[in-house]
Amino acid sequence: MNWRTILRKMREYPAIVGFVGIVIFFALLSDRFFTLSNFLIILRQVSIQAIIAFGMTIVIISGGIDLSVGSTLALSAVILADFLKSGSIFTAVFMALLVGAAMGAANGLIIAKGKIQPFIVTLATMAIGRSLTLVYTQGMPITGFPQSFRFIGRGDVAGIPVPIIIMLSLFALMWFVLNNTKLGLYSYAIGGNEIAAKLSGVKVDRYKIIIYMISGVFSAVSGIILTARLNSAQPTFGYGYELDAIAAVVLGGASLTGGKGHILGTLFGALIMGTLNNGLNILNVSPFYQQAVKGIIILIAVLLEREN
Amino acid sequence: MEYILEAKGITKTFPGVVALDNVNFNLKKGEVHALLGENGAGKSTLIKIISGVYKADKGTILYMGKTVSFNSPTEAMKAGIATIHQELNLFEDLTVAENIAVGNVESFLLSKRKLINITDKLLKNLNFNIHANSTVRNLNTSEKQLVSIAKALFLNSNVIIMDEPTATITEHEAKILFNIINDLKKKGISIIFISHRLEEVFEIADRVTVLRDGKFVGTTDVGHTSEQELISMMVGRKISEMYPKYNVPKKKEIFSVHDLNVGRIVKNVSFSLKEGEIFGIAGLVGSGKSEIALGIYGYIPSKWKQLKVGDKVISKIKSPDQALQEGIAMVPEDRKTMGLVLELDVMKNITLQNVKEVEKGGIINWKKADDIAREEIGKYSIKVSSVKQKVKTLSGGNQQKAVLAKVLRRVPKVVFMVEPTRGIDVGAKVDVYKIVNNLANNGIGVVFISSELPEIVRLCDRVLVMHRGRPMGILEGNEITQENILKLATGVDVE
Repeated sequence: MNWRTILRKMREYPAIVGFVGIVIFFALLSDRFFTLSNFLIILRQVSIQAIIAFGMTIVIISGGIDLSVGSTLALSAVILADFLKSGSIFTAVFMALLVGAAMGAANGLIIAKGKIQPFIVTLATMAIGRSLTLVYTQGMPITGFPQSFRFIGRGDVAGIPVPIIIMLSLFALMWFVLNNTKLGLYSYAIGGNEIAAKLSGVKVDRYKIIIYMISGVFSAVSGIILTARLNSAQPTFGYGYELDAIAAVVLGGASLTGGKGHILGTLFGALIMGTLNNGLNILNVSPFYQQAVKGIIILIAVLLEREN
Repeated sequence: MEYILEAKGITKTFPGVVALDNVNFNLKKGEVHALLGENGAGKSTLIKIISGVYKADKGTILYMGKTVSFNSPTEAMKAGIATIHQELNLFEDLTVAENIAVGNVESFLLSKRKLINITDKLLKNLNFNIHANSTVRNLNTSEKQLVSIAKALFLNSNVIIMDEPTATITEHEAKILFNIINDLKKKGISIIFISHRLEEVFEIADRVTVLRDGKFVGTTDVGHTSEQELISMMVGRKISEMYPKYNVPKKKEIFSVHDLNVGRIVKNVSFSLKEGEIFGIAGLVGSGKSEIALGIYGYIPSKWKQLKVGDKVISKIKSPDQALQEGIAMVPEDRKTMGLVLELDVMKNITLQNVKEVEKGGIINWKKADDIAREEIGKYSIKVSSVKQKVKTLSGGNQQKAVLAKVLRRVPKVVFMVEPTRGIDVGAKVDVYKIVNNLANNGIGVVFISSELPEIVRLCDRVLVMHRGRPMGILEGNEITQENILKLATGVDVE
């Protein structure tokens, strides 16, 4: 590979360039940052956000948006917790995923058949989902799960934490879906030009519902990991996660108008967000400043994107 | 001073392309000068240099005897050179008067009443039948064009450049526009007229300059040339047949519809066609001719008493997907907004409508899709650098061929083609006509829906003419003439 092709690749994946830059920056400022154990910490922290962002990626590529991911995470977490106390882990996980799928199906159905803007629909389901969670738990956390369940959040396989394994598996799955399946092609087509997709014989409504279901299920997976890690399900889980997920997708090079984006970009977008959190904490930067730093990074990324 | 505007030896290069190579162009006072050329010939680049959008690398522009070099379109406009773009650039939610004022009135405060009075006077002087107080959104395309012209004249322009003004209006509206152009001529205003339609050049222009591949081919008096000569100047080869027409034997009936109603527009339309027949549908904008296709194709709600494809009676088509399964295909009216996903490459656009051929269990075999795309690119001679080229970077003609490739890959029983030659160059048009003939030759029923009468007249075996959503009659054989179609299309009966 010569310099020119490397440069072209860099322009294609600005999130990777940004991530490398941020890593170098923190590594120069602190010797506690650039260690294997710290990277595993970052990856484990990022996994929950990244999984939501993977679901958000296909939604945004198809020209939509899903603001309800945080509420879906919380609702599936408390349902999971409730079933954990009475039933098997398998049933509980299945129920949590079912809740995620149902929330996604509701979003997709209203957006497709009601022909309402995704922003409005998912804003409403975000509020409804949060409310259902609070009603279901009466505002109280649910705790007391079997020891074996915590493996999902805290265990590791050959030294690699389970959340990271789940995240990388879902990354591979979404990479395959977006690049090698009918669903992937249709997502890009619907986001790029919905009318042309429809006139080409694509069952647009059906695929929209599937796309929002993926986002819902991925949020539920995050909810399961988070519950296992903290050993409790709290009705306040996932507040503001939709914004982090959207930020990761946009940092990854997707356009909010749809038709563009890729999952590798999203992974590095999420890594940028996670590394910033971690690095700024190591450098003892006041949390009061941290949001501003993230905001500035997002603006810079989007401005650079525009140049292309 | 013989010429009001003279461009000498204009050269302009963009990275990798010579857009204009030593081009000469001159304009007399009070003349209509047509600028002809295929897509990519350099017409727009020349216009953009004259109007201050680009700067020439080499060459000079003389305007009213002085060398000029405008830094922006606004500067050119203030000097008296106005450009009316194809996309019109109007503010839809402002009034006519406000649109004319934007960029033209420099005072900070302005009285609405005064503005409307001035504009009304201007419109009256021009004999334009528009009110200064109407909102632009409520005007039709040709009225909007008049607003653009009025805006140009507000500043007492000497030169008006019209970029394909007739591309989006009907023949009837074009007639009105031509009357206005003739009035402007009498006032001593010079007009540069860009068009794809040769017959218009003969109707309205005094002289014509032809460009090809960025080079100057020649300038000639319209009275001293012919359509054939201009075509060969434009394409650099003889096109002996502009409108190829094969003699295809008509066989059994392949499609019929009775009492079709589409939305609130199309009422009680019935027609049928045979295998190998090219059936035309003509009408003005708003006549419902494209809605007939969209309705039958399942894109907008429609009802019918009976619809048959071959021997199969179909009671309802709910979606384009179902229409395709029944053997009904459609080439949509606007390739950019309806035909293609511009951000995707040629291969993916072709695959989009033909996924079934390359997928198994939802997984796409891209190797196979690549082969199919190459096959189609070869079949329709689409000019691409690779199958991975984004369709948004293709020329209009090649985009249209990509649409034809994706729609016709799975051979339909009947295909609706809506405005299949709109905005493409002469060479590509002839290619499209050949494709239409080939379809008929292969026993496919072709419904050819177009606003361009010459192609309807020369290509179609029978023609249904629509007027305000209602069928006015079906012309056959010798009855198919531009005059007869226009009479029906404007609501006059043919005796």
